[in-house]
Amino acid sequence: MDPLIYILDIIVFVGIFAIVALSLNLEYGFAGLGNFGKVAFFLTGAYTYALLSQIGLPFFLCLIIAALISASIGFLISLSALRLREDYLAIVTLTFGEILRLVVKAEHWIAGGVWGITMPSAISWAGASPRMMAAANIGLVYFCLILGFILVQLVSNSPYGRVLRAIREDETAAEALGKDRFKYKAQAFMLGSGLAGLGGGLFAQYLRFIDPYMFLPTVTFSVWIMVIIGGPANNWGALLGATLVELFSRGTRILKDYLLVPIDPNNLQYILFGLLIVFILLYRPQGLLKESQVKTKALEVISRWKKHS
Amino acid sequence: MGERLPLVIYFLSMVNWAQVLFNSSVTGCIYLISAVGLTLTYGLSKFPNFAHAEFMTLGAYAGYFLADQLGLGFPSAFVAAFIASGILGALSYRGIFQPLAKRGASLIHLMVAAIGLGFVIRHFVGELWGWSPRSFKVTWSAFDIGIVRVSDLWLWLIFAALAMAGLMHLLLTKTKIGKAIRGTSSNPELALASGVNINRVTLVTWLVGAALAGIAGLFRGAGTRLSPMLGWDILLPTFAVTILGGIGSFYGAIAAAFIIGLAENIGVVFLTSFGISTEYRMAIAFLILIITLILRPGGLARMFR
Repeated sequence: MDPLIYILDIIVFVGIFAIVALSLNLEYGFAGLGNFGKVAFFLTGAYTYALLSQIGLPFFLCLIIAALISASIGFLISLSALRLREDYLAIVTLTFGEILRLVVKAEHWIAGGVWGITMPSAISWAGASPRMMAAANIGLVYFCLILGFILVQLVSNSPYGRVLRAIREDETAAEALGKDRFKYKAQAFMLGSGLAGLGGGLFAQYLRFIDPYMFLPTVTFSVWIMVIIGGPANNWGALLGATLVELFSRGTRILKDYLLVPIDPNNLQYILFGLLIVFILLYRPQGLLKESQVKTKALEVISRWKKHS
Repeated sequence: MGERLPLVIYFLSMVNWAQVLFNSSVTGCIYLISAVGLTLTYGLSKFPNFAHAEFMTLGAYAGYFLADQLGLGFPSAFVAAFIASGILGALSYRGIFQPLAKRGASLIHLMVAAIGLGFVIRHFVGELWGWSPRSFKVTWSAFDIGIVRVSDLWLWLIFAALAMAGLMHLLLTKTKIGKAIRGTSSNPELALASGVNINRVTLVTWLVGAALAGIAGLFRGAGTRLSPMLGWDILLPTFAVTILGGIGSFYGAIAAAFIIGLAENIGVVFLTSFGISTEYRMAIAFLILIITLILRPGGLARMFR
């Protein structure tokens, strides 16, 4: 295989999963919501994209609608689920992801069931080489990633984001200050689900083929590992985590192919992931990067004033 | 739907309901054995242990190793499953969950750690025994009791579940450690103040709970096939039993196991008669789980005080 394509492929995947990691960071890092069914929204985005692109809609419309549909499903889930305790929310979202996967697997008429669904190439032009196609995909994915990053960064630094952090730290105190915690949580969940749907749409767009086995709960947990390694409530941390996890999973495959390690790379990868996450939770639960500080004009003035005195 | 209705009624009248009832209790028995451990550790350590699935998987493979690969016969599989999973459960608590809880890990951190542990065990099993499904060499003789077709494996399963329920009942009500488990589950501070060694009680609960999960996994593996996903496949129904029964409630779990067993098997009959894919069999337990959590998160526990 062309080594340059291989590298470009890694870059695309890092970008896609960075978007999903950002969405989980918004939900878990800033709003404190334990969404263990991230893959459900990733799946919704991917299947929406696949079905719409088969009708022949242009790819950007497919992506936008994929994000919107994921966001609305996130909103519907949040109506009942967000009033639950943390562990119940985790179980409900996890189960919801499995139900959704069962549905696309059993209903062949939706998108081919177990055989999956293929879709036409979104970005193609006459005489496009595989390298140019991959480069175009990088452009599309990173355009979406930058938009998503700016959005989440703005949200987390705004007064709105500070309310989210306040609710995460102490629900009752935030409620006492007149902040409707369900409204804020539902909005964060909706935004997060929309971003995850966008990631799913890009995933389907890039692979041009999806089947239900791509949406196992392991996807959710890979994203969790990204956020926890990178550092929750830090958007740079989510990017770092996505990069590390993706490089790591490719690394174990290279290890198998070139260094002839006698362990199946897939097993090795998940054994190391599991150990890594346990060690991080034990010895560095805040992740690699610390929680990002809030930056506002008022805080700048105060810190300058502190220096003078 | 209208023209299908006579067909559905005909189909339902042809169903051997005694068989459905028997199958329901078989399903319920597996869920019961696996859920008892989960509900006790959940009640005591206050977090859902997703690695419970892998306790089941390891039990099944440990039994397979001793019974089939070493050729020691099927009864030895029970011993292997019980011991291997029990030790694994105790080690996971001592090595991971207790230190995490001591360091003040949040609920979400505990859940993520449980999933991480599950990854490690699942892929370790996958590395040792491979990902292609295996099955026990033992063949089970099937025979008819009246109109119900049974196999001796299923009779053993029902016997094991009843024995387990009886022993656990005696353990929880008559022995000191059992009373300590119930006391710690309902009020840890009070139990501590009354001189209960909470660490030891929790460790014993994890050991017994995981060992029972191993037995459940063994039955599942013997009844169907062994694969590293074996535990994960029945984890969510096990959660459904735990939640419907009320977290920490042993008697609630007994009732819930049979409710879920019935719902699954009757549900399958209806799915087939309406011409819907039986892939949705699992979805029945999932829906019960979600609906219980949303409408009545306490489950049935209040009825079993």
